[in-house]
Amino acid sequence: MKRIGKFLSSMPFAITLLVLLAAACAMSSAIPQGATWEQYAVQYGERTAGWIVGLQLDDAFHSWWFIGLSAFLCLNLLCCNLIRLPSLLKRVRAFGNPEKMISANATAEAQGTGDPQQMFTALRMGKPAGRKTGDGREMLFSAGNRAGFWGAWICHMGILLLILGFALGQMTAEKYTVYALPGQTKPLENTGLTVRVDDFRTERAESGAVQQYTAMLTVSDPENHTVESGTASVNAPAALFGYKFFQNSVGWGADVTVLKNGEVLQKDSLCAGEYIPVKDKQELVVYLQAFYPDYVQMTGMSPMTASEELNNPAYLYRIYYKGELLGMNALMSGEEVTIDEYTVRFDHPRNYTLLAVKRDRFTFLVLLGGLITLAGLVLAFWVQPRAVWAVREDNGWHVYGMNRKGGALFRDEFGKAAAATGFTAADTEKGGND
Amino acid sequence: MLQAENTLFTIAVIGYFVLTVLNFAFVALKKEKLSSAAFFLQTGLFILHTAALVLRGIGAGRWPMTNQYEFATSFAWALCLVSLIFIRKYRFPVLGAFSSPLILLMIGYAAMQSREVKELMPSLRSSWLAFHVSTAIIAYGSFGVAFVLSLIFLFRGRIKEEGFWGQHIPQPEKLDMISYRSVCLGMLFLTLTILTGAIWAEQAWGSYWSWDPKETWSLVTWIIYAVYLHLRLRRGWKGKAAAWFAVIGFICVIFTYIGVNTFLPGIHSYA
Repeated sequence: MKRIGKFLSSMPFAITLLVLLAAACAMSSAIPQGATWEQYAVQYGERTAGWIVGLQLDDAFHSWWFIGLSAFLCLNLLCCNLIRLPSLLKRVRAFGNPEKMISANATAEAQGTGDPQQMFTALRMGKPAGRKTGDGREMLFSAGNRAGFWGAWICHMGILLLILGFALGQMTAEKYTVYALPGQTKPLENTGLTVRVDDFRTERAESGAVQQYTAMLTVSDPENHTVESGTASVNAPAALFGYKFFQNSVGWGADVTVLKNGEVLQKDSLCAGEYIPVKDKQELVVYLQAFYPDYVQMTGMSPMTASEELNNPAYLYRIYYKGELLGMNALMSGEEVTIDEYTVRFDHPRNYTLLAVKRDRFTFLVLLGGLITLAGLVLAFWVQPRAVWAVREDNGWHVYGMNRKGGALFRDEFGKAAAATGFTAADTEKGGND
Repeated sequence: MLQAENTLFTIAVIGYFVLTVLNFAFVALKKEKLSSAAFFLQTGLFILHTAALVLRGIGAGRWPMTNQYEFATSFAWALCLVSLIFIRKYRFPVLGAFSSPLILLMIGYAAMQSREVKELMPSLRSSWLAFHVSTAIIAYGSFGVAFVLSLIFLFRGRIKEEGFWGQHIPQPEKLDMISYRSVCLGMLFLTLTILTGAIWAEQAWGSYWSWDPKETWSLVTWIIYAVYLHLRLRRGWKGKAAAWFAVIGFICVIFTYIGVNTFLPGIHSYA
């Protein structure tokens, strides 16, 4: 059991996992995610497509092996932090204890007859405390930045929290999309709520470029007779009924009118891609396939729009009866299509809003994990535990310095401080960084 | 404003070319005066480049880091800044000789991009843009300098102690520490980049992480440098092996910046 724990917390295991995760991410980013076997077969050939689907490379970031690697990384971080904790505590305590420091290997040493207080100041140490060594010699001691010992430990905890928050979010978050034209009310899937788009505005710069999309929303809970309203803009979601509504995208839609023998039978609104059955003949379906605000049709090419301005609006429709296509064409503004006694026309084209709706109770955990990771990195990189102590000798002072992360750079700094304060630094290669 | 920025940018491109030549002359002729001149020229170019970026920002009416040109010129600016700091802090003039070609390459890449100022799409109109892209630029600049330092480290193993290079390049242990410091700076800022990007993505799209190629490759880069930091703690891996990882890390940085935009389009395709 001890051996398993040691292996799970080991650095070679951590490095192997990190390299595998990096390789998995790099490989998965090169393969289009979420495509079908047929699409992969066209792109890479049938044999490769089989491998891609078989190894779940088509949804790599949710595959069993990617989740497995991430779970092992969490286990590694947890074991590493748990196993290291007692020795870390011991090291932190020892670092502030002058008796223990004497026996430790110093990173740098200097000797001379100068004032050791100046050496402490030059090395940016706190005011040293006076002590006696075991053999009764006078000693000055100062230690600081012990928080730096905790850097890697805190960083690991942050990453662990972040992965945990992400995993919990993936498992429990509710995510929906809803799109509607201004004035339309749509159900929010199975939440029991309805979303009404009261208004939808597009702010444009003088050049015509879109600056902002804003949707005014009213969300209702019919069962509890409660209503909440808010505004969702790009980069400023609305928070209603515990859900966040994000202004995600826009599209085109229009009003559709169906006449029977010249009399209005029904009026409705359709977003591009939606259809409605005719009221008194449900097998007859009107489908608004696409809308082109500035319609251009060139020979041999698919219809397209020259701009997003309503310069030459055209509605691409299809009409089906019992699933069979009766007709399709592009209707220009004011044009109608008649099939038997039914006439269809489109008008009042306008933008619809596509909203992303989300409730993730664990986002805060991810943010907290990220901030803790950041704090850990700052401590690990920039808060360097260092101790300086000076022992009086017959011919002056012997000054020792210890820096857990400085290594060669600390020896340089120590040497310069020694030279500036009348000491001679000894050539030592001890110590390092962690 | 944009005309003035254009002029300053052109002067900067020429200036970085002269800087590279001056640095080559320093190492070829082994004249210390040339290294001092190169340092002063680099400082001057940094001020000029900063002015160009400020003018670009005023002219465009926004933070000047939103397209390939702006990011590339800012990347070159960050490389210039970080290398200046490291040259001065560690009294290491030869670093300039190795970093100036990289700055020249990056500003050269910027010069090949369209300099047209376009209106920002709504999702880019966020105050997070400044934090997200600025931190990315500092991270990339730091990793660029770490890359250069690692190359010097790998090169140092082949030189004689008593020659020009031996005198001007720090001992391997110190060189490794300087490179480590540069990676630390980059790692902190890359973490900030990923965090600010996630917060922004959550606000803009309702998803703080979408496994978009740019996000994924930022994570790959972060992991590579995390491996570097861990390798340095293991006996036998510190030094050469870690230096190679810093080189691989910077290749990932370049792929994240240029390769992803070219080969793996996603929601960051405007960047």
